[in-house]
Amino acid sequence: MERVKEPLIHITRRDSMPLWKSLLIRFGAILVALVISAIFISASAPSSHGFFDYFASLFSGAFGTERRIWILLQNTALLLCVALALVVAFKMRFWNLGGNGQVLIGCLACAVCMYYLGGKLPDALVCIIMFVASVAAGAVWAVIPAVFKAFFNTNESLFTLMMNYIAMYLVAFFIAFWYPNGTGAMPPLTDANLPALGDGQMGRSLLTILVAVLVTALIFCYLRFSKHGYEIAVVGESQNTARYAGINVRKVIIRTLVLSGALCGLVGFLLVGSINHMVSTNMDDNMGFTGIMVAWMGKFNPLIMAGVSLFINFLSRGMAQVCTDFGFTSEALSDIVVGLIYFFFIGCEFFISYKVHFNFSKQKGRAAPAFSMDAASEKGGAPSEAAGHAPAGGEPPAEGQPPADVVRHSFDGALPEGLGMPNGKSSAEAVSPRAAGDVPEEAQLPVGTAPGENAKEEA
Amino acid sequence: MEVFLSTAIEFGVIFLFGCVGEILTEKSGHLNLGIPGIMCMGAAGGCFGAKLYLMPTENPSGVLTVLIAILFAMIFAGALGAVYGFLTVSLRSNQNVTGLACTIFGVGFTSFFLNNVVLTEGVSTQLSYAGLNFFNAQIPGVESLGWFGSIFLAHGVLVYLAIVVAVVVALMLRRTKAGLNLRAIGENPATADAVGIRVTRYKYFAIIVGAAIAGLGGLCYVMDYMGGIVGSTVDQTIQGIGWLSIALVIFTMWRPALAILGSILFGALYIISSRITGISFEQIQLLNMIPFVVTILVLIVTSIIGHRETQPPTSLGLSYFREDR
Repeated sequence: MERVKEPLIHITRRDSMPLWKSLLIRFGAILVALVISAIFISASAPSSHGFFDYFASLFSGAFGTERRIWILLQNTALLLCVALALVVAFKMRFWNLGGNGQVLIGCLACAVCMYYLGGKLPDALVCIIMFVASVAAGAVWAVIPAVFKAFFNTNESLFTLMMNYIAMYLVAFFIAFWYPNGTGAMPPLTDANLPALGDGQMGRSLLTILVAVLVTALIFCYLRFSKHGYEIAVVGESQNTARYAGINVRKVIIRTLVLSGALCGLVGFLLVGSINHMVSTNMDDNMGFTGIMVAWMGKFNPLIMAGVSLFINFLSRGMAQVCTDFGFTSEALSDIVVGLIYFFFIGCEFFISYKVHFNFSKQKGRAAPAFSMDAASEKGGAPSEAAGHAPAGGEPPAEGQPPADVVRHSFDGALPEGLGMPNGKSSAEAVSPRAAGDVPEEAQLPVGTAPGENAKEEA
Repeated sequence: MEVFLSTAIEFGVIFLFGCVGEILTEKSGHLNLGIPGIMCMGAAGGCFGAKLYLMPTENPSGVLTVLIAILFAMIFAGALGAVYGFLTVSLRSNQNVTGLACTIFGVGFTSFFLNNVVLTEGVSTQLSYAGLNFFNAQIPGVESLGWFGSIFLAHGVLVYLAIVVAVVVALMLRRTKAGLNLRAIGENPATADAVGIRVTRYKYFAIIVGAAIAGLGGLCYVMDYMGGIVGSTVDQTIQGIGWLSIALVIFTMWRPALAILGSILFGALYIISSRITGISFEQIQLLNMIPFVVTILVLIVTSIIGHRETQPPTSLGLSYFREDR
């Protein structure tokens, strides 16, 4: 037989990984990103500081005073609400990138009610109207793309992105309309503010935090235990399956996005009614995008997401302090560090879902890889052994038969496959054995035979 | 009117860079939502390169300034593109999430880098000098050509570069073997792999080159359109332009040649609010929405028509795992 060149690196899917190990990888990735950013920042800072001062500033910025802790918790609550709003859509594989716009339009609706009704009606009544208006505005902003997605399969990610900018310019319009000679900034309104539940910063933040706790519990139950939550998961897994099971896919898409937008609108209501009492074009604080990362890093689990959003806010609050202490003039430093952490976190997922084998032995036909990065393969049992070793058995992996007995699990039973796993292919295709002889027939490129959405179902 | 059309072309090429870069990336089956961040990186890199050359040099040469700025813009943008490529191609991460992370990082990096590293004492005057005299240098004798000259020939070098790049990419995709291979990968990477096309290599090529092209869009905005004046909200503006560029890809049906016309149209829509005189400040805000509203209408219309020609590459957004067949 002809000598075949073995690829140096060989990759196989993992069956599962012990929880402690996957957590170790994730925390390791975050730690590496933090250390790298600490080295860069302490090296490039205008005023010289040591490496450990960076972490001291980080913690003092987030937890230094009681006021800072309350602000941290309040921002965590807001971000968590936005992330929860996006999660219900993501579970359905609807890429709602319009969180920013939905929050902002909720803010605007609330501010409009405060501006026109504040002082003319009793405060309690105005607050109720504000709540209804904000939630409704957020829902409308999300449901417009959803309707077009449901009926015409319009690209929802770009649609929702464009809605962000329309909301932003609407806010700018109203500010310019109300305060024609102003600088584009709006002074806080004094009428119809939501009541403070205590003194100082705690009183301002507590309502938001309580709402977030309530929303988290409700969404957790909604996704885990309700019929709606199950329908969302089925639609996310496969629209054809959902249709076959008698689920009205269009109804589910629209209903879910009403919920998603309404939650974002609720955040807008809290931001204007309870915290700021005014509206500005950057009040959303990019939470729509950050919320996506929170949802992703939290594996769509509301409880983990709470921890992730606390961590992200800890970083951004802490980095603001680092900027001051280290003498940087731009606040954007936290975006860089957080972005770095995203990269490492996204990258480390690979090592959780896949196993890397290094093929150092040049000998052809050797079954065992010389070195495996994974010590757990002994624990993993027979299927993972077969997955790891079969392709190395004499043929290049491209033509090697995939083992037929590998059972694949999604990361979490509730995850839609295309989202949870980087690869959109179903396990049915993954385990179908294909002989090397089939290749020439496959080689004629069937260009455009399957529309993009259905590629998975056809498999 | 002449001024309006001329400015529309000048602004449109910013979209054109972003759009062509994204088309090249999408043809390999990768939806890069990091384009806004990558365009920002291009702006940061271009300003940084121009600064490195201009500050120590007594009599800077215009050609060198432009070339160095272009080189640095492409390196910075290509670097972020390479990060995106590594995460999505080699590590098979979700493309949407990775792209958004790139945007968050790129926009933050640009804002930080421009304020803390690039714009030190005396740099902004140098940059605006270079922007006006080097990047916006016109062909001599254009004034004598009347309206034709002032609309089509009175531009800086980056405008022509954009059109050349668009045409080259169009020819590459349509007429060369490499283009055919790339399109095959975008449609079905497994099949392309089976006939011996090096899928990973092509994907990296498309993503990094696409990012480098998109990065020129950021450079073009700062140095050509703004004339080297780096405002404090430059990162936010480029981010908006970046999202529109991605939407423009759908509008132009993944064709770089059509993108030339589409981007000029979008350029006209984008500048309309600053060109109409005698309207109030709040009306300007409403006019600013126009490009975004038009984009939504375009998305709706193309999805309703649903013609085969208007469909994206089949495997767009899906990672390719060779061992998974």
